[in-house]
Amino acid sequence: MPQAQSTQTPMTQQAGTVVRVRLFAALRERAGWGERLIRLDAGTATPVALWRQLALEVSPNSHATDLPPSIRVAINQAFATADTPLRPGDEVAFLPPITGG
Amino acid sequence: MPTRHPERPIVIKLLEAPFEPLELLAAWQRSLGAAGTAAESHFIGRVRGSTASGAPLEALELEHYPGMSEAQLRTIAEACAAHHGAGAVLVAHRVGRIAPGEAIVLVAVQADRRGPAQRCLQELLEDLKHHAPFWKREWSGGSGTWVAGNTPL
Repeated sequence: MPQAQSTQTPMTQQAGTVVRVRLFAALRERAGWGERLIRLDAGTATPVALWRQLALEVSPNSHATDLPPSIRVAINQAFATADTPLRPGDEVAFLPPITGG
Repeated sequence: MPTRHPERPIVIKLLEAPFEPLELLAAWQRSLGAAGTAAESHFIGRVRGSTASGAPLEALELEHYPGMSEAQLRTIAEACAAHHGAGAVLVAHRVGRIAPGEAIVLVAVQADRRGPAQRCLQELLEDLKHHAPFWKREWSGGSGTWVAGNTPL
């Protein structure tokens, strides 16, 4: 799994909120990365806003930037709603449809 | 609302190597010793020999979210056991590359009667398929395809 990119701003810097973003399965392969530290844009302190910032469109033909209903969100390894406020250091995961068992 | 027997444990195992479900089941039963109850239900799931589109399957790959997968399996098992008044629960789930015919999941539930044991097992299996962070990829003809959804009940 790719490590957090060194090009991202380090967490020690003062301004802004930095979160760890994780992607899995088809979503990870489409994006080309599985884990990154991301500095949130101003006003981007929710998973749904983070999704727009990362431009993780599911369909290459779609210009829609909203989080698709099929993608679930986990914050610090527990399911959460896409409008949950994010705090510095949170681990945010975008989960494609689950196929376990 | 029945409550879970607090003295009976929830055991969650994520396994990276092939396992023999009957041996694991026997070891789990021995570990419970005299705490064994009147009813016990079991489910063993194995990897099919063909893909969703009917092609021969070389292997099934199971990706998971380490940490969350164990935690979520435990949350699901505890909730189902409490809901149905079941006792001890064992959930063993493979991750990684799995060959056709190999076991992918083993679930066992103890209860005082067959009803709670069977209902808890069924609810747990359905919850596990939809709410535990696992993703299947089918390998066939040298290429992998992420599985889009669960097979019908």
